[in-house]
Amino acid sequence: MSELVGTPEQVISDPAGVVIDDLHKSFGDVEVLKGIDMTVSPGQVVCLIGASGSGKSTLLRCVNRLEDPDAGRITVGDFEATDLDVNLDAMRRQIGMVFQQFNLFPHLSVLENCTITPRRVLKQSRDEAEREALHQLDLVGLKHLADRRPAQLSGGQQQRVAIARALTMKPSLMLFDEPTSALDPETVGEVLAIMRDLARAGMTMIVVTHEMGFAREVADRVVFLDKGVVVEEGTAKQVIGAPTQPRTQDFLRRVLNPLGE
Amino acid sequence: MALSNRDRARLSLGIQAAIFAGVVVVLIIIIDWAAVQRSFFNLEPVMAMFPEVITVGLWNTVRYTFFGFIFGLIGGTVLALMRIASFPVYRWIATIYIEFFRGIPAILVFIALGFGASLAFGLNLSTLQTASTALAIVGAAYIAETIRAGLQAVPKGQMEAARALGMPAWRAMVTIQIPQAFRIVLPPLTNEAILLTKDSSLIFVVGMAGSAAELTKMGRDGITMYQAGMTPLVVAGICYLIITVPLSILARRMEERSPARSSRKRQKKATASPVTSGVA
Repeated sequence: MSELVGTPEQVISDPAGVVIDDLHKSFGDVEVLKGIDMTVSPGQVVCLIGASGSGKSTLLRCVNRLEDPDAGRITVGDFEATDLDVNLDAMRRQIGMVFQQFNLFPHLSVLENCTITPRRVLKQSRDEAEREALHQLDLVGLKHLADRRPAQLSGGQQQRVAIARALTMKPSLMLFDEPTSALDPETVGEVLAIMRDLARAGMTMIVVTHEMGFAREVADRVVFLDKGVVVEEGTAKQVIGAPTQPRTQDFLRRVLNPLGE
Repeated sequence: MALSNRDRARLSLGIQAAIFAGVVVVLIIIIDWAAVQRSFFNLEPVMAMFPEVITVGLWNTVRYTFFGFIFGLIGGTVLALMRIASFPVYRWIATIYIEFFRGIPAILVFIALGFGASLAFGLNLSTLQTASTALAIVGAAYIAETIRAGLQAVPKGQMEAARALGMPAWRAMVTIQIPQAFRIVLPPLTNEAILLTKDSSLIFVVGMAGSAAELTKMGRDGITMYQAGMTPLVVAGICYLIITVPLSILARRMEERSPARSSRKRQKKATASPVTSGVA
């Protein structure tokens, strides 16, 4: 599949680091995050793994403040994400996000999905925005579908457009929230290949995923979350290959061998 | 005697047909068809009403409804936004407005505006102003609820994606949420236009000059003018249908290819894949 996207032509010049310090978040009476500490160096790829309900998506959504944390501190590059006075829109322009359900804008063409924010928010000219959008669509191998509507694309293609759309804003950090969980199995690979290329280009990435193969190959670090706390973290080799915590071992056993033989 | 399913179905069909035939025969016998024709389908007043019933009556009905709908749409949009605003006072005001004007008969608004505006504010409203303002006041309440439902029918992920890209809230609303909501609410808004078309007849309680007469007024005047039964009302009714039937066909067409449907289909396709390992 990787011949579709070619070699990484993308060079990320100024990837941002992320520092998370004692992060707490509750929904009603349920405490979802119970004091998370995590550091992601610029250019690093961190995979968050854990069962559903472990808090990994909430953690990711706190980083760009789609969720407001109750306590704790997050820094993204130069931005104090948890500061009340932070310019949220300016910060979010530095942070690309890819969702499980793609969330492409269905009333806009593929190209318009990629140009609408640069044009309306960054005030780029149509030519300028379209040139960059077509370049990004080319990198994900979908330049030829620029005039289509999202509904006419396969799930994998939609997710690749979503990645291209995020990259047109020239982010210095990319957040992926289970980017392949809603895909048909045969299209998972094309999305993961693009993410791998992006990682090799030097992007800082936080990836919530169940794709252990991807984590093993691409992640600099794997963080295992359970019931709102970081249970274990380390290199992919350590955490996936030789977990030391019983809860990690149990989780991986179920993920890697669902039938439990 | 046991009947087979097919016999039972045939029997049921036969009974229905027999009842229908009986009713038709009774109607033919008891109704004085000549009188019906005289009072409802008299050709003379029909000829006399043309072309004014179209050039004045239909035209005025369309005009009053059009402006009422446009201002109702503007007011309804504002109310809908107030209804979902984070500032609670806006929500209260919008809720009270909507409940009040949906709960009272529209004719009260026409009376209050037609006679009250000059008494209370010394305003001398024209018939067009009175009719379209009254329709806008009432229509806004209904339209607001339609638009609010439309805005809330746009999946939450749309707004999140727009905000995550760095769009300010108002910008995300204008470029992402409202255009999608608009497509969802087009069919119900068309139905609202049909209701307003019919409600424009209520202006008759206020009274108006002949040149400002809309369809209902023309029909009523025709009855007294020609002394030829109810035929003018039938003519007016047919003119209303000329407006409302195409609108209703339009609404049904739009419902059939509503974007909400196709997006639901898409969602179904995007089912979770089983956990796999390995990069392709």
